[in-house]
Amino acid sequence: MKRFNKLSMMVAVLIVGFLLPLYGQDAATLQQEVDALKPRLSRFLLRGYAHSGFEKFEEGSSFVGGSFNPIFLWQQSDRLLFEAELEVELENGTTRLGLEYANMSFILSKRAIVRVGQFLIPFGIFAERLHPRWINRLPSNPLGFSHGEQVGPSSALGVELRGGAPVGSGKINYSVYVINGPTLNDGSVEAEEVGQLHYDNYEDNNDNKAIGGRLGILPFSSSALELGVSAQMANVGDRGSVYENTGAQLFAVDVSFVKNITPLKSIVDIKAQYNLTRVNRETYTVGTETFRFKNESNAYFVQGVIKPAFVSNTFLQKLELAGRYSALQLAPDAPWGAEKTQWAVSVNYWLDWRTVIKFSYQYTDSPVSEHLEAEGGSGGGGAEEEGGTPLGGAFLVHWSFGF
Amino acid sequence: MKRKTKSILFGLFVGLFAIGSLVLVSCSGSSQLVTEKTGAQLWGENCVRCHNAPSPPSFNDYQWETIALHMRVRASLTEEEVAKIVEFLKMAN
Repeated sequence: MKRFNKLSMMVAVLIVGFLLPLYGQDAATLQQEVDALKPRLSRFLLRGYAHSGFEKFEEGSSFVGGSFNPIFLWQQSDRLLFEAELEVELENGTTRLGLEYANMSFILSKRAIVRVGQFLIPFGIFAERLHPRWINRLPSNPLGFSHGEQVGPSSALGVELRGGAPVGSGKINYSVYVINGPTLNDGSVEAEEVGQLHYDNYEDNNDNKAIGGRLGILPFSSSALELGVSAQMANVGDRGSVYENTGAQLFAVDVSFVKNITPLKSIVDIKAQYNLTRVNRETYTVGTETFRFKNESNAYFVQGVIKPAFVSNTFLQKLELAGRYSALQLAPDAPWGAEKTQWAVSVNYWLDWRTVIKFSYQYTDSPVSEHLEAEGGSGGGGAEEEGGTPLGGAFLVHWSFGF
Repeated sequence: MKRKTKSILFGLFVGLFAIGSLVLVSCSGSSQLVTEKTGAQLWGENCVRCHNAPSPPSFNDYQWETIALHMRVRASLTEEEVAKIVEFLKMAN
């Protein structure tokens, strides 16, 4: 029996002695494999958002969207970041690929970041922070904040200095930028748009660069309230034309208030922005016609959202109610002059923190009847088609997805 | 004239809103310096200014670092805020 025990022990020692190095080898190999997967200085991340939905306008209905916006983030080091966003969407039966932005940022110091390339312009808060489909609480953009009826810039090529700093119990953020700036349509190409500003100026039309910036003040330590002012100045006429020295001045004010209101067991989110664009008064000659008008446009929105995130009912926690009023006035005496107002309400259901289904109704009105036909929608073409928001009532159901 | 009335109404809204916010925030009794706050507090207060606060397990620790740099640029968060928020997200992950 003793001999048997000794033999068993010897076998066990031999087995352990044989397996241990193998285990050590496997652990070392596994560690190497884990280390190989560990990100080093260069890090790549693909994020973005997508949306799809159904829209019913007075003149028709259609499924819309099917678009997605991949965002590429490449972190070269703790101080260097490249970011780019594409917009892939269906438009009139074909796939359209657009570049929303592509820029490089370098952290200069604790309070200063320099950014070069094509970037979203911090002219107010909507274009830079609120436009992504999963962030915008309504399926449509406010009047004056979409392509086709834009009042104010959204993205441009240039260089920017920006940052944030604590001040007292609150903080401030700032941005100063130089960009190519908007261009003035002198009527030689699209006569009906004479005097209108175009913001997609990716090759500058003159030697004058637009200078602009935004200052945001968050007076309270909770960061609940932010007040912002933005301005941008530039000459907008083509090089060598009679409008070369025609100036444009753009202004915006914005307000944001987001706070957990304990008695309501809800988060209240209120946002507003007012944009004003002014172009120096000029005389435009198109064919045999002459136009001279006050070239001033404005657009604004006020939006409120309440989300009962702290009630005990789990279904209600995921619901939110959003409402928005927006108005647009494009130079009333211009050939493209227009005036519109819009009410929009939406009941949103959040599947998770970045996926939402929005059930919305909006009504767009125009007191200037002669512009109705020109601006009126084909119906079902989408809330932000070129040419502006269709008039009348509309039901919109959108599913937005951040990733 | 109508536009002027609208502009005045908008101005009134902004003014009343600022006063209302002042009252609401003052009532909350929060006057803590940003630098004295925890990462969890800063995460809860700053992310919701634009979108819902992200859930920590949505990304891994390395991804959070890249996202934080992206947000530092986009939302003009301060260096101190970003460092504390990332620390919190990694801890909660």
